[in-house]
Amino acid sequence: MKKWNRSAKAALALAASAGLVFGAMSPASAATRTSVVIVESNSFTSLNPNTSGQNLVMNTDIAYMTSMGFYYYNNEPSIIPNTSFGSYKVISQKPFKVQYKVNKGIVWSDGTPIDGVDLLLSHVISSSAYSIAAGLGDPADTKAPAAFDSLGYNGTYDQNIVGEPVLTSDRMGVTVTYKAAIPDWVLSSPGAFPVHTLVELAAGEKKLGSGPHNLAAKNKFLTAFKTKDTKTLKAMGKIWSSAYNIDAVDAKTNPLLLVNNGAYLVSSAVKAQRVTLTLNPKYNSGPKTHGIEKIILNTISDGTAAVQALANHEVDVYAGQATADGLAALNKISGIQVINALSATWEGVYLRSGDGPGETDHYTGVFANGSTAASKAQATDIRRAFLMAFPRDEIVEKVWKPLSAKSGPMDSINYFSTFPNYKKMVANNGSSRYTAGTQASRTTDALKLVQKYYPTTSASAPNVKIKILWGSPSNARRISEAAIIKAGLAKAGFDADLTPEVKWVSLLPSNKYDAYFCGNGLSGVFQAGLTGGWNSGADQYSGYNNPAVDAAVKKLQATVLTDDEIYAQYLIVEKNVYDDAMSVNITQWPAVTAVSQDLKGIDPSPILPETVWNFWEWHY
Amino acid sequence: MITYIFRRLGTLVVILLGSSFILFNLAAISNDPIGELRLSRAPNAKELILVTTRELRLDLPPPLRYFMWLKNVLGTLVGHGNLGVTRTHESVASALGAAIPTTLRLVSAATFIAIILGITIGIVTALRQYSQFDYIMTFIAFLLFSLPIFWVAVLLKQFLAIQFNNFLGDPKITPFWLSGIGLVSGFLWASIIGGTRKRFWSVFVGVGIASAAIIVTIVKSHWLMNPGLGPFGIAIFGVGIAFGITHLSVGLSDKKALKASLFMVVIGLIAYYPSQIAFRNDHKAIIFPFMVLLTFLVAIGATFIFSKIDRGPLFRTTLLTAITISAVTILDKLMHTWKPYFESDAINGRPVPTIGQSNSLLEPGNYWLTTLDILMHLVLPTMALTAISFAGYIRYSRGTLLEVLNQDYIRTARAKGLTERTVIMRHAFRNTLIPLTTIIVVDIASIVGGAIITEHVFGWNGMGTLFNNALNNFDLNLLMGVFLVTASLAVLANLVADLLYSALDPRIRVGSQ
Amino acid sequence: MKFSLRNKSKGAEILQQGDILNKETEGLSQSQIVIQRFFRHKAAMIALAVLLIIIIFVFSVFDMQFLFFHYHGWWKYTISDMPDLAFKECPNNTVGCPTLNLRPHFLGGSGLRFGDHPFGQDDVGHDYFALVIRGAQRSLLVTVIIGLVGGTIGTVIGAISGFYRGWIDAVLMRFTDFIITIPTIIIGAVIGAHFGNLGVSFLALYLGLFAWTGLSRLVRGEFLTLREREFVDAARVAGATNRRIIFKHILPNAVGVIIVSVTLLMSGAILLETALSYLGFGVVAPDVSLGLLISRYQDAFSTRPWLFWYPGFFIVTIALCINFVGDGLRDAFDPRQRRKISRKERNVTLKLRARND
Repeated sequence: MKKWNRSAKAALALAASAGLVFGAMSPASAATRTSVVIVESNSFTSLNPNTSGQNLVMNTDIAYMTSMGFYYYNNEPSIIPNTSFGSYKVISQKPFKVQYKVNKGIVWSDGTPIDGVDLLLSHVISSSAYSIAAGLGDPADTKAPAAFDSLGYNGTYDQNIVGEPVLTSDRMGVTVTYKAAIPDWVLSSPGAFPVHTLVELAAGEKKLGSGPHNLAAKNKFLTAFKTKDTKTLKAMGKIWSSAYNIDAVDAKTNPLLLVNNGAYLVSSAVKAQRVTLTLNPKYNSGPKTHGIEKIILNTISDGTAAVQALANHEVDVYAGQATADGLAALNKISGIQVINALSATWEGVYLRSGDGPGETDHYTGVFANGSTAASKAQATDIRRAFLMAFPRDEIVEKVWKPLSAKSGPMDSINYFSTFPNYKKMVANNGSSRYTAGTQASRTTDALKLVQKYYPTTSASAPNVKIKILWGSPSNARRISEAAIIKAGLAKAGFDADLTPEVKWVSLLPSNKYDAYFCGNGLSGVFQAGLTGGWNSGADQYSGYNNPAVDAAVKKLQATVLTDDEIYAQYLIVEKNVYDDAMSVNITQWPAVTAVSQDLKGIDPSPILPETVWNFWEWHY
Repeated sequence: MITYIFRRLGTLVVILLGSSFILFNLAAISNDPIGELRLSRAPNAKELILVTTRELRLDLPPPLRYFMWLKNVLGTLVGHGNLGVTRTHESVASALGAAIPTTLRLVSAATFIAIILGITIGIVTALRQYSQFDYIMTFIAFLLFSLPIFWVAVLLKQFLAIQFNNFLGDPKITPFWLSGIGLVSGFLWASIIGGTRKRFWSVFVGVGIASAAIIVTIVKSHWLMNPGLGPFGIAIFGVGIAFGITHLSVGLSDKKALKASLFMVVIGLIAYYPSQIAFRNDHKAIIFPFMVLLTFLVAIGATFIFSKIDRGPLFRTTLLTAITISAVTILDKLMHTWKPYFESDAINGRPVPTIGQSNSLLEPGNYWLTTLDILMHLVLPTMALTAISFAGYIRYSRGTLLEVLNQDYIRTARAKGLTERTVIMRHAFRNTLIPLTTIIVVDIASIVGGAIITEHVFGWNGMGTLFNNALNNFDLNLLMGVFLVTASLAVLANLVADLLYSALDPRIRVGSQ
Repeated sequence: MKFSLRNKSKGAEILQQGDILNKETEGLSQSQIVIQRFFRHKAAMIALAVLLIIIIFVFSVFDMQFLFFHYHGWWKYTISDMPDLAFKECPNNTVGCPTLNLRPHFLGGSGLRFGDHPFGQDDVGHDYFALVIRGAQRSLLVTVIIGLVGGTIGTVIGAISGFYRGWIDAVLMRFTDFIITIPTIIIGAVIGAHFGNLGVSFLALYLGLFAWTGLSRLVRGEFLTLREREFVDAARVAGATNRRIIFKHILPNAVGVIIVSVTLLMSGAILLETALSYLGFGVVAPDVSLGLLISRYQDAFSTRPWLFWYPGFFIVTIALCINFVGDGLRDAFDPRQRRKISRKERNVTLKLRARND
């Protein structure tokens, strides 16, 4: 053995010196980059995120960058009409008719012109009535999906559409009739889909068609749509629902699947690893791009790993839920800029006043309104005491401020601090009851209020038992919040049980809990999108029932209102919720995006698709 | 014997039925697939809940859903069933088909290195029981064995990737690091070589200074940027290898074997330039098997030239030498690929990656660049996996060899006057392998299950990730698919281990009927 | 020629060593020999001492209640106390840096100091020393429970099936196969979702119920080999009962394997708990374990390294010590194991030999 060691050692040493014969190194050249690598947390599974099982963030991001429609959200967020693509206008109030028109000259990536026929598929995948009438199956069936296995059924469009969209005389658009003037009718705009490729795919074709061939295919769809040709539509439905579910794209992939009108097109995808998007040379359906030729979406599910990959310059853009340390680590990395913003997700605490929906037992805790006026008054007082003592400022200071200097308490049930009416709302909504004075003074008042009904309790020996539901016990922020809440409430005489539950969401209706705290997200901006579920109904987990709130929410959902009217309705909701002491919000979540310093133009939006919303403005 | 195997395979089916039933139901109650949607404020939240309920058949109780799944799977026996589809509508079979090779790529290198390195170090520590080397290796083994893998991963990425890449950008080595490397390598070699105190210190000082000098020359001469061995380096390596392999295989006293080995080195050197041309060829699929065949033929030829009788051991020696020389030649080629790789736009001067299976910007096409890229992406995960798993092999092989060395037949062999090499390699080592084999078989079966955490932190999507995703996304079909593969392999491996044990150790009878 | 000469001398040396060994163990019972050997195993003794110090240290920190006896811990904070942050200006713009200082004045430090928050504070002010110590208590508890439960089940099942063979062996081993097929992480996930609030002992108990399979196969293998040995035949011929053969003859010979495996199982248990915590299935807040802390602060290592290194230090030290103790026990239990011959003793033997020549 000794001999081997010695010889190995000699060999190693000599080999190393021998290698030195080869030398001379030249510095690596740094050319201007034209590619961007983005981190995504899940894998690519489908080119069509509107079908069941496929509405994952990565799929929707890819769909967003590879297709264009009538509008998009900017980062305020508000709706911006995409005038390069087309226009829409109300042409009649009674009956309420809207005309959506595509601009002349815009084309799909295979060169086929985009026209009104391409907007019709949107009706097929959103209207339950059409699906049933055309023999494609009832989308509400609990046993089997309809031929178009779409997630678009049963939405605002489906509930309000009258008849079918009618092609305009120049074939460049469609006219849609709604039951009545609906709020946010822009959001119901039909999306464009290259129907000719769908027809060709259904016919088993494997190559891009010629101009006349594509036009014939398009007409075939139009006939099938008009005559409700079950057989043709079913064949197309099968393709639409399943053929786009691919997780790898290479030279063998059917090019018909990749036809689209976005600035970028999927050029290759390695299963479970990454997707490469390349500039669409025929793109004219939206804002101009600025020199980025390739966008690569890399799947990295672990946050720490993503930060380290960024530090090693393997990726250029990472947006994620930051921890204080993750943020500090990002700030330390050279060549990285960290963009701090607030997301459209916020944290709040919600109290229970009555029975949860679908529960067989009854809620009898300290917050229960009961059946008499006296018991209701007592419960309201206790709830008010809870909210007054709730250590919101401390949570913001210790848990959220380290993540973003922009973080601050949120004093409205529905409005974000960035909204124009936020200050007016805070001044009038009655939240001052829970924000006036200092936390210490509020807690003293709260204790007095509690002692009125529970004289034996005190700050040193709290005995008013409450059980608070919260989840994600592996989330460090929640753990910190729970610790602060427990300590803060104890000072007002509450003995809070804050055991976390992994399956907390399923327990939301449970009458065993007096309150819960969690995060809430906004998915889009629409008139009734902020009501926060305070109207009575099956999603009302707190057992709250207030006719004034119900009326206001109904108005927001069903009628087109002016900005002032919208504000007035929201004010009604907020005043009641605060007065009945049902909830306070804690703060808006910070959103951290780390970007390679050379990459310009990234300005994340608080709502999906967050970082990529303005991908066309990116440049080096 | 045959009936025994068939009976075991029969019970395998029963076991799988039982545990799949339990697993399915446990997994079904461990999570709530529509939980997240309950809080959703999306306008189509109701539709999403409806679709999810319909797709997962949440209206049925879990046991019923299990039997539906089972019916579908058993259908494969009569030709019309399958393993179902995942929640993203991919067939489970194809998901598994993609994940298994990924996992094998990730863990096979690590397992191989861990076994070889672990057994080698285990043997050396056993032969030098209670020496300094033994203590140091035991300590290192236990230390590595005690580290959580994600911890190792985070540290490796920070120091060997991020900081090493920074270092490569401006290769300057501080006196602190230089003296550190010198001290550590000096101490390591001195304790391996052992001997008297005087010898220990002379080796310590010698090796310490030598390694510091080597590091300085490597850095100063930019060898790190443009490495390579060249024929000269390969020659020196080759001679060392020839001596080492001959010593271990048949002993240096066998002059014929030594000559044959050295002859192989010469052939390897002669083949250096032709092989460089072959490496440039585009038809790798034809060239490589041909080269492997050639290696075998040359080894056989050398055996025939140098020996007339008892060709077995000689052939073993020449073949091992030939394979090693070929490996070194390929290594040399990869080293020469380093510079273009390092300077390519995709790498941009940061060659050690922290994440993924391949570089997302590297254009496919150049065989050697792509190979090097794949290998570079294997470096950190392989190191992490090896670090935590080879400790076990050190302990097992050390313990077993110590036990064997104390057996009477070793005493007898020594008393007969056999050389120490023969005693260790032929008598002791072979018997050590018996229990090790069975451990290795079970280990190999379990690695197919994937390294959940390793795959997660290094961004690999193998079986471990599949399993984790299935659990987190409530993808029961996928979960059961992964389960079927890993569980059957685990049970089969135990069967193979039992059979191997009885085959290798005649004292053990299997199935005793 | 050279080789054979060297080996002859080696053979002689072995005989001499044997003499020393015999002299050493003359007149001692088996257990005395084991204890004596164990105490001579330097590494194991150091590890045992460190482990004991850690255990005593860790369990003396907080108040404890044994029946009627109340123990007052020496540390002022518990894991639920939230004192104000002592330091708000720490390196990297962080908060809560540690007050522990081991760097003396003459090396440029500020002297030996334990301070108010030796390991620092977390974001909201919890004393990190208290958290780490509590975590170490939890991890030790997990280790012991898994070791006890897994070790007992594994040994019993392995011993019975290895000794009795036949259908008993077949049934028990198929049961083992059955347990092997159920992934631990599923157990962790189900327990986390349904019994997460029942505490860490419950989790450890359940993990122990599934962690014995490797051990039982090893013990079975050992029993299969040992029961074919001559001394077992001799005992059987002499009329010993199965019980006696198992406990008096086979078990003492198998104990080395069992102990090594159990210590591996125990050090593995710490890591298993760590891995489960990392994946979100382990110990549930507000309770902590070392694994939970290290996975929670895994991205703190470059910004607030103390949050990362202290729990890591405890995990590694505990696992390391358990392994070394196991190693020492294995050597001590091996009946044929020779201990190291010291240089002095070798010189004596050589002199003796020289005189005999």
